[in-house]
Amino acid sequence: MRIVVCVTQILDPEIPPSEFRLDAERRAAAEGIGQLVVSIFDENALEVALQLRERMAGREAVEIVALTVGPPSAADALRRALSLRADRAILISSAEGPPLDGIVVANLLKAAVERLHPVDLILCGRETGDWHGGVVGSFLAEALGWACVNFVSRIEVTDDGFLMRRQSDEGWEIVRATRPAVATITNDDTNVPRLPKVRDTMMAARASIPVWTIPELVGEEARLWETSGRLQVRELIIPSLSKAIEWIEGETVQEKAARLVQALRERRIL
Amino acid sequence: MRVILVVLPASEIGRSEREAIGAAHALAATLGGEVYVALIGPAAESGVEQRGRTGPTSEASTVARAFFVAHPLLREYAPELYVSALEQLWATVRADVILFPGRTIALEIAPRLAYRLGAAVATDVIGLRAEDGAVVITKPVYGGKAHAILVAPRPPVVLCVRPRAFDPVHGEVIGGDAERIEVALDLTSVRARLIERIREESATGMALEEARIIVSGGRGIGGPEGFRLLEELAQWLGGAVGASRAACDAGWVPASWQIGQTGKKVAPDLYIAVGISGASQHVVGISGAKCIVAINTDPRAPIFRVADLGIVGAYENVVPILIEEVKRLRAEEGA
Repeated sequence: MRIVVCVTQILDPEIPPSEFRLDAERRAAAEGIGQLVVSIFDENALEVALQLRERMAGREAVEIVALTVGPPSAADALRRALSLRADRAILISSAEGPPLDGIVVANLLKAAVERLHPVDLILCGRETGDWHGGVVGSFLAEALGWACVNFVSRIEVTDDGFLMRRQSDEGWEIVRATRPAVATITNDDTNVPRLPKVRDTMMAARASIPVWTIPELVGEEARLWETSGRLQVRELIIPSLSKAIEWIEGETVQEKAARLVQALRERRIL
Repeated sequence: MRVILVVLPASEIGRSEREAIGAAHALAATLGGEVYVALIGPAAESGVEQRGRTGPTSEASTVARAFFVAHPLLREYAPELYVSALEQLWATVRADVILFPGRTIALEIAPRLAYRLGAAVATDVIGLRAEDGAVVITKPVYGGKAHAILVAPRPPVVLCVRPRAFDPVHGEVIGGDAERIEVALDLTSVRARLIERIREESATGMALEEARIIVSGGRGIGGPEGFRLLEELAQWLGGAVGASRAACDAGWVPASWQIGQTGKKVAPDLYIAVGISGASQHVVGISGAKCIVAINTDPRAPIFRVADLGIVGAYENVVPILIEEVKRLRAEEGA
């Protein structure tokens, strides 16, 4: 079974608002305000793939291929996947960095998946941790004509496809999907990303990563935009956060609790 | 004439549906044009059935035209069938904007519909207006640290609005006549079938999205036992219990309790954040709260920058006393 995991890099989401800056001209976060990391839900997707391979040991051989789209620096996300023992990693070279239009990414991934044929399962994060589009997985499934299930946290392989547990508004659902399938992955307590071993990280740092180019995958670039109505990013703004906190003080916890309830009554909340 | 079509794929008309219609009216105020609503699936069937029995209601509807897309195969949600039905609806109702409520099934349907229509799509929308005839969209990015202003230069554009970001409409959603839309569906196109559906119990029996008061716990709670204390407080306050991603990933509470960018978006009157550090992806889920109270041992925790009221202290000490104070208040009110 071949599993493709699509990964991308984002600006570290742990950067506090006080340190966050924008690059108005690039219409993106300013460079250098923090590290780039693998997008949070892509890490969950890698974890789901790794656990599937472990569970299938002895039943079926599983190959995990990590894909990313971006400039040469995007290979860092692939090295993370390799350090977690993904079997292969391929960089789809695109001059532009993020945010890339969802349809462009989906069309490039589709071409790469077809080149990797046969592929049984594609996993990607439910949305990127920076632009929160949440469309690439669905676009990819539509482009390929495959089953698609969103907000999946657990997957099992069955004789005729997959059983996927996915989150819903009220709880969760079990969905049976045909093979091949696309699943967009969300976090839960069963897919918390593991940390790589130091030895594997060093090996991944030295790995040679193949690069596939847009011309070899899809021919002219205009073909990427087919079936797309492109949204234009006019600007980014930082919303003003003007809040003055009222600290509840007191000599004892009793006093603080009483003062809090009093403050809430004054604000007519209680 | 511009058409803003609100599609309601859930089986009931709730707050999220009313907010979506409210968002459509807000956009129509600057774009011009009319707001239409389409029910699809079980809600459409009950609409058809009700019209058959009683005829249209006399109450004025909030929308100009309404459509029922009913079909036996739509009784159970399957994205392939719902998207196909909506594609066929669009062939009849050439909307400039197709707008969905902030429901999980909408987040699944909207991108696939957009792909088939060759339309632009944006999810988690918190602002909508028109400028020079183009639709201008605001959505949070970078975990809510910034807002992106996006422009859809040509129709159609498909949108999912964020829950609690728009004011809901009141009154009869579909009061007047509704047209029945016939669709042809192919069962063999279904590649993902629902096998089982589980409702996760909320702590106090109240849904997070509806609660006026929410008590929420994070990593600082330290384990599932600590949440019992939060549940007790929520019970006495008549509220619901939520959690940060850290608490859910640790398996201390069900995933459906998660509040944040990728959990529930809530806008209660009172949000009490206990042992929650206040990462932006959590804070963006509570930005609609009227009053935020934070209880944390670390005075420099980011949650205090968005809180209205703050107590520095261990929750194990503070919350039990708070419960006593609330009990006392309730007793006084009862007397």
